[in-house]
Amino acid sequence: MPVKPDCEKLCPEWPCDDPFEFKGVWVVAEADENELNEASLQMLTPAKKIASKLGEKIVGILVGYNVKKWADELIKHGADEVIVVDDERLKTYYPRVYGQVIVDLAKKYKPSVILVSATMRGREMAPYIANTLRTGITADCTDFDVDEKTGDVLMIRPPFAAIMLAYIKTPFRKPQMGTARPNVFPVPPRDESRSGPVIEEKAEIIPPGMELAYYKPVKREEVLIEKAEIIVSVGKGIGGPDGVKLAEKLASLLGGVVAGSRKAVDAGWIPPERQVGQTGKSVKPVLYIAIGISGAAQHMIGVREAGRIVAINIDPDAPIFNQADYGIIGDYREIVPALIEELERLKKEGPKAIEELLKEEEEAAAS
Amino acid sequence: MRIVVGIKWVPNTQAVRFDPKTGTLIREGVPSIVNPHDYPAIELALRLRDKYGGEVIAVTMAPPSARQGLEHVLGMGVDKGVLLTDRAFAGADTLATSYVIAKAIEKIDKEIGHVDVAIFGHETIDSSTAHIGAQVASWLGWPYVYYARDAELVEDGKLKVRRQTERAIEEYVLNLPAVVATAIKALEPRPIRLLHKLRAKIEQPIIVWTNNELGLDKRCIGLKGSPTVVANITFMPEVPRKKIVYKPKDPKDAARWLLRQLFKDEAVAPFLKKALWG
Repeated sequence: MPVKPDCEKLCPEWPCDDPFEFKGVWVVAEADENELNEASLQMLTPAKKIASKLGEKIVGILVGYNVKKWADELIKHGADEVIVVDDERLKTYYPRVYGQVIVDLAKKYKPSVILVSATMRGREMAPYIANTLRTGITADCTDFDVDEKTGDVLMIRPPFAAIMLAYIKTPFRKPQMGTARPNVFPVPPRDESRSGPVIEEKAEIIPPGMELAYYKPVKREEVLIEKAEIIVSVGKGIGGPDGVKLAEKLASLLGGVVAGSRKAVDAGWIPPERQVGQTGKSVKPVLYIAIGISGAAQHMIGVREAGRIVAINIDPDAPIFNQADYGIIGDYREIVPALIEELERLKKEGPKAIEELLKEEEEAAAS
Repeated sequence: MRIVVGIKWVPNTQAVRFDPKTGTLIREGVPSIVNPHDYPAIELALRLRDKYGGEVIAVTMAPPSARQGLEHVLGMGVDKGVLLTDRAFAGADTLATSYVIAKAIEKIDKEIGHVDVAIFGHETIDSSTAHIGAQVASWLGWPYVYYARDAELVEDGKLKVRRQTERAIEEYVLNLPAVVATAIKALEPRPIRLLHKLRAKIEQPIIVWTNNELGLDKRCIGLKGSPTVVANITFMPEVPRKKIVYKPKDPKDAARWLLRQLFKDEAVAPFLKKALWG
């Protein structure tokens, strides 16, 4: 059971709320006229885990202009109900304006938990919401749980150096807020039979104190690394931008994309939006080929969800060999071209070439 | 313009090593540094000052040793440093930290002179929350924007900030005072100059404020002012991996060995076949 706080002991800047009044697990959805961000749907997965342990409802929150149409999508993917603020004055996103609308909704409805996907917009807005509600927030959680004794939500995140997990709770304040990076959780399956109430709310819209003066959409030409099935990733060990060209050639043969470690980004070989790891992105490809990546914990945290990891490294003591499925000790400058050559040959010869390839091993074993 | 820039004195996480035998972090001898993601914020503040005049004040909440960090950025040309240090600030989460920083900005505004902009780095390398900018904006009631790459003053004394998100290149015109947080590696920081270091040595422009000077309620700072509590710390469970390591005879042998492993592996093989032959 939650404990009612001793109001005398709390910072007078905070409201002293009765924790028993707070119910419901909110997922703040990121949407505009054209798109409901898939990362928001992903947050319904941890919401379900928390809500079922607390015995509370999952509530989707939609704030914007022409966004009511997404309510059904949230419900089909697991929300029990949706609260919508659909207002033409919300056509342009301003973090403080959107944040304040959600703060006002939270003051009215008193949810026990608010989850926000840590997209760029989510990372900008969520701490404003938490702070204005004078409550705690835990960024970039990799899992959530509920303390059975107290009912506190445990926000689980890797802290310093990414080797440990910290369980963070917010015992004296509600709502409890947490964010998770895109693709840490899957989108719950769509269930056509689901339905639920959609509540339309009017909100007071504060003056933004700022104005969007210029907007130019950037084309997404390439597959985002978060969505790639095969990733060829490069680290400091490639030694220069030429290595990136080899990686690109390998990736294109495999229908994959190129990414890199922090060091490769720092060196300017890989753009920051393609950085994998603690200060970059979490990815979950079927296959992750790490070239010249030593295997620092800060990097490996970003590939925990990868299906298989291949490591190519010249240093036999590189820690990555202990964290990969298939490791090859050697110079990538020789091995990657050979790999490209073999793949090109296979591609030309067709699927039957696999049999011959596998037979070679039997012969080697037999001799 | 008077620009406050927030910096953090952090352990150099790149220097932290993991002891595989004992399963612990080796933190001994790990030096502290100015958070690398704060440099674009410092550089943006200095460029605004160089262009429009005024001063840049670096603020940090930290143990006394963070004076070194302030001295470092004074060497880049920052005009003053404010060190917020008190045992009562220890154990603060981001809410309690942003509270102290916001109150210090208010005090600077009152006692040193009007503050136009507060600039922060994107996030820190030791906790990577990216909270402080938005939280300080919340305490101060100022407009704010993240991911800034550049800024300039425009008509009516407003600040135009350029940024890039996954979706678009955007420019916002903010009423001042405002909070701006820079993007990672948005601007190349200028080097330390001996001239600035000498000036800092002579003028000693570092102000130390403890909670005696700030006079904040003890219930709002440090551990007590922090709504989040670390309930437990565990080691991350190791992901099971095959850990098959091969030392090839030659590059061709390496390539063929790897492809054999991948085509035998049902978790990968269908995707490879699809990629090669559709």
